[in-house]
Amino acid sequence: MSEKKVSDRQRIEELLGIFSGIAASPKSQLDMYTGLGKKAVGVFPYYAPEELVHAAGFIPLGIWGASGTVREAGRYFPAFYCTIARMGLELALTGVLDRLSAVVMPTLCDTLRPLSQNFKAARPDIPMLFLAQPQNRKTYYGKDYYVSELMRVKGELEALAGKKITDEALYESVQVYNESRAERRRFVQLAAAHASLVSTQARSAALKSAYFTEKREHQTLLKELNDLLAAQPAENPRDYTRVVTSGILADGGNLLKIFDEQSIRVAADDVAHESRSFRVDVPESLAAEAPMYALAEAFAQQTDDSLLWEADLSHRQQHLIDLVLDSGARGVVFLMMQFCDPEELDYPSLKAALDTMDIPSIQIGYDQQMTDFGQAETQLMTFKEIIG
Amino acid sequence: MLFLGIDIGSAVSKCVITDETEAIRGKGLSPGGAGTGGPQAAVAMALADAGAAAGDIAATVATGYGRNLAAAADSTMSELSCHAAGAVKLYPGVRTVIDIGGQDAKVLSITPAGKLDSFIMNDKCAAGTGRFLEEMSRVLAVPIDEMADVAGRAAHELQISSTCVVFAETEVISRMAEGAAVGDVLAGIFAAIAARVGALAKRKGVVPEVVMTGGVAKNEGMRRALERELGTPIHVDPLAQYAGALGAALFASQSGL
Repeated sequence: MSEKKVSDRQRIEELLGIFSGIAASPKSQLDMYTGLGKKAVGVFPYYAPEELVHAAGFIPLGIWGASGTVREAGRYFPAFYCTIARMGLELALTGVLDRLSAVVMPTLCDTLRPLSQNFKAARPDIPMLFLAQPQNRKTYYGKDYYVSELMRVKGELEALAGKKITDEALYESVQVYNESRAERRRFVQLAAAHASLVSTQARSAALKSAYFTEKREHQTLLKELNDLLAAQPAENPRDYTRVVTSGILADGGNLLKIFDEQSIRVAADDVAHESRSFRVDVPESLAAEAPMYALAEAFAQQTDDSLLWEADLSHRQQHLIDLVLDSGARGVVFLMMQFCDPEELDYPSLKAALDTMDIPSIQIGYDQQMTDFGQAETQLMTFKEIIG
Repeated sequence: MLFLGIDIGSAVSKCVITDETEAIRGKGLSPGGAGTGGPQAAVAMALADAGAAAGDIAATVATGYGRNLAAAADSTMSELSCHAAGAVKLYPGVRTVIDIGGQDAKVLSITPAGKLDSFIMNDKCAAGTGRFLEEMSRVLAVPIDEMADVAGRAAHELQISSTCVVFAETEVISRMAEGAAVGDVLAGIFAAIAARVGALAKRKGVVPEVVMTGGVAKNEGMRRALERELGTPIHVDPLAQYAGALGAALFASQSGL
């Protein structure tokens, strides 16, 4: 191997190491940014208009819970409740979010709505910017309603920032985010094509770190990684067992370690925390004219997600089937977030659709409090033994 | 040439030694699963049963929750694949395997060609597992081996609504305090577990012939309750508890030849 190739591979490892470090310590990122005199705003799932936060001059930091044990948040939620909500509140109650200037809380599912109110009660000192998104998002009245909600949040952000969010600033942020989304989509393809260089854990960390890094910074690093990966020799796709993952989250280190131990790689994903969050861009031509409407339009174009109402569920089924066929995956691993009603409601129809196409699938229960992955390991090992 | 399969479960370790014709030459079973001396004891028993020494083993496959702790194993396989292979060996026409072990329950679908096609496992919960029966045995002071006979004498089956070990214990104690007969309570417990495992099996789809493997398969009361729940006969081989180890030995022979 030539010296250049060796140094390229070293740099790939280095970049993946940087992403892993960021993904593992979001609080360090928050402390770093605020230490530099910047202000940060926490952004809860799903489909929050981060561009608005960015355009106001804040660093948006994604809050999708965290691995750990719920202690303090147990005062506000029963045990049988989504851990993203419970761990998100746990972070707030244990001081991890103290340096945030505010949080934006979308309310797309029935779990997040009570979280918004509990957050308000638990941490009245951290402004909570409530964002009600319309499920009827494709109609003109749905878009008008969403724009009115965005305008309200925009006003609250402006008050916190002490400055107006201009259309020009918002348009610029839209461009930054579109570029970031495109780069992340490119990375998903390249990571699958270079499975020996990008482990399942490393793939997850590279995507997860985008939630804790200013998007331009992340974009610069990810573009460098993508360019290096693109220059690497093609790999035999049969060297690894390639699957499509589906679920809300797929970022647990101990869970993904099993994927790597079993030589299983993610060929494509239908994960809310990953591809679902960056597959739709904000239309830039509209953003140049009316950026708030462009944000509403982008939300209207979102589809194929358990969290979004659809008149025709078969569209999502076909989307999942297409992901498998287009990526060459051998099956689907559903990572079922415990107590997630929307995901559990969609699962039977998705499973049935895969069965009709003879696409093998498996469902693994998962949440952020899990410490014992023995059963998950057995399930994944068996699945691999079946699909080869 | 001999092949060893080691199934290190959560509560019991099982071993089977086969030869190149896939005939069983020895077996061993010892209490104590992962992290105990159980696996070594089971191996020693199997070797003694086969009249063989450790050096006679050409290949070893470990399975079960403790599979990664079996240092002597040449490779590991999941217990689901092993139970499927073991069940097919014991009942070549099997299409559905219900494996109830110490800490989980699984339902396996087998193709007409005898290959594992798909599976479903219970969620992390002791309901519908051997652990549940152990707890009920303790609460009712009825040894596990005698549970089926006691339940067989039940005048009627009490309804036990909870399959959670913690809540069921409270419920059972309440029933006993009300003066219920032990046999009636036990019959209710078998029915409750059967309903839980039966629901799992129905989600997967029950295709005859149905075979039960795992330690709980030895419990006649459990088998009868599950037959009633599923409305189909269930085969239980005397070697049902060894099915995983047998499957592992068969995989060892495939890898070693």
